[in-house]
Amino acid sequence: MIQIHDLNFRVKDRFLLKTIDIEIKKGELIAIVGPNGAGKSTFLSCLGSEIPYQAKQFSLKNKDINSYKKDEIPLHRAKFSQHQSAEINLKNDEIVLMGRYPYFKNDADISDKEIVQNWMRKTETQHLIDREYEQLSGGEKQRLHLARVFTQLENNVENKLLLLDEPLNNLDVAHQFKTLHLIKEFTNKNNTALVVLHDLNIASQFADRLILLNKGMIELFDEPTKVLTQERISRVYQYPCILHQHPVTNQPIILFG
Amino acid sequence: MKKKIAVYKLTFFIVLLVALVTALYLGAYDFNHSVFEIVSTYFKTKTHTADSFVLIELRIPRILMAILTGAALSITGTSLQGLFKNPLASPDLIGITSGAVLFAALTIVFGSAVMHFLPPFLSYTLLSIMAFLGALLTMWFVYKMATSNGKTHILILLLSGVAISALSGAVTGFLTYISTEEELRNLTFWSLGSLAGSNWWKVCLVFVVVSIGSFRLLKKGKTLNALMLGEKEAAHLGFDIEKTKREIIIISSLMVGCVVAFNGTIGFIGLVVPYILRFVFNSNYNILLPLSMILGAVILLIADTISRTIVIPAELPIGILTAIMGAPVFISILINYKRKLK
Repeated sequence: MIQIHDLNFRVKDRFLLKTIDIEIKKGELIAIVGPNGAGKSTFLSCLGSEIPYQAKQFSLKNKDINSYKKDEIPLHRAKFSQHQSAEINLKNDEIVLMGRYPYFKNDADISDKEIVQNWMRKTETQHLIDREYEQLSGGEKQRLHLARVFTQLENNVENKLLLLDEPLNNLDVAHQFKTLHLIKEFTNKNNTALVVLHDLNIASQFADRLILLNKGMIELFDEPTKVLTQERISRVYQYPCILHQHPVTNQPIILFG
Repeated sequence: MKKKIAVYKLTFFIVLLVALVTALYLGAYDFNHSVFEIVSTYFKTKTHTADSFVLIELRIPRILMAILTGAALSITGTSLQGLFKNPLASPDLIGITSGAVLFAALTIVFGSAVMHFLPPFLSYTLLSIMAFLGALLTMWFVYKMATSNGKTHILILLLSGVAISALSGAVTGFLTYISTEEELRNLTFWSLGSLAGSNWWKVCLVFVVVSIGSFRLLKKGKTLNALMLGEKEAAHLGFDIEKTKREIIIISSLMVGCVVAFNGTIGFIGLVVPYILRFVFNSNYNILLPLSMILGAVILLIADTISRTIVIPAELPIGILTAIMGAPVFISILINYKRKLK
């Protein structure tokens, strides 16, 4: 699905990402974790072609990422950004409809509108339709944009890529889990998702594999049980922790302090 | 929603039509025959009567010019507001109009030797090209000044406009003072605008520029909407943001330059028209762009008709009327801002 070989990103002389080598399979849900300033968002920005990185190889579905046309790539890849615009003077369903912009010329189809309705229902934002965007809470705005990103990838293309930068910020516990289930549902259809997460325990429960970043380098890229060890986590985060087991899923649980 | 837009379009068109017919009959000169009779006699005889001269050579070109100018100023205002993500960005407030005026005035003074020998269409073309360059140069300057990392600082944007307007005002004033050129001696023309000098050559030229420009701008609705999400988000939706910016900047300069070269500064239209439409359609540029064109044409045609009939036989500069509409809108946008700052 994704092959990256020797990816670097630096600002002046400082490497924010250094010699990243990674191979991601289709259908995987991958969580990117690590302490502040480890390069999580930067890595996701590289995957979204937002910043000028250097790489020996970066291919998506066995095709160089730069060989995709500008109006073609939105059907394969979407990104949910960490910071959402605070001011958008549009109706909320018009904002979600933007996810369908790659699909119609001037006027949205009925099918486009149905997709919008469907994702607004799934993200539980349907009741916000008549509210002003600026009046929404942080979490509500976040869910609205989540709906927009999902509508963008509603198509017949196989093996799509979804990038999410801290999608759970501002969400209450229930919506955190509901959102993760939506992402899981997406990857179950042979699509791939890379999600920047802060909560290691949520990452451990939902992700197939974890990318643990530290100081711009990949500390380890493996299954949660392998990545989440007491020694490694307390060293990377420079804070003591203990390891437990989730009583239901048996996945590792980290308790700090 | 679609129905609502269609209703608005239709209403605006009907108002435009009514305004157009009314404008044909109103003026310092009263016709002895109906408009239809005058035109048909003219086409039969091919010679002008007093009636047909006023109608065909003066009034009709002027009405068409009002429609084209209103449409051009409104759609560029709307596009610039989308580009700069601010309802205050309009060609006159950010100084583009002034830049165009400056270059037009310079061309008239220093190019007069050349322009006298050119046929009218070419000399008008030269004038509008120079005004376009003036507009483009200012636009580029203002954009560079006010934008960093894809974010526009509205304060710097507006202050750049003030600075350029001051410079342009000073130079234009000086040129008017030393010039012997008839076209330039009228300072009111440059500062408050007038459609009185319209003729068919100018109308044709403006028509070509406005139709090509609007055709391109009308396609930018989705991109401008997406820009509200942020530049990176818009890029993820497949829009080439840098290309869109360049295109809007060049096309707006071209349209504003061309219109200003012939009609002087007609302020506030690009501010007022989108402002009114936003009450109904928020900032959905897909809808704002086409509707602003029609509404702009309507408003400017009405304003021009008032300006040439209210103090017969003299004329009120049209800029006075547009400023009367525009200043309260400007203030109300500022009040809105102040509320948001709290």
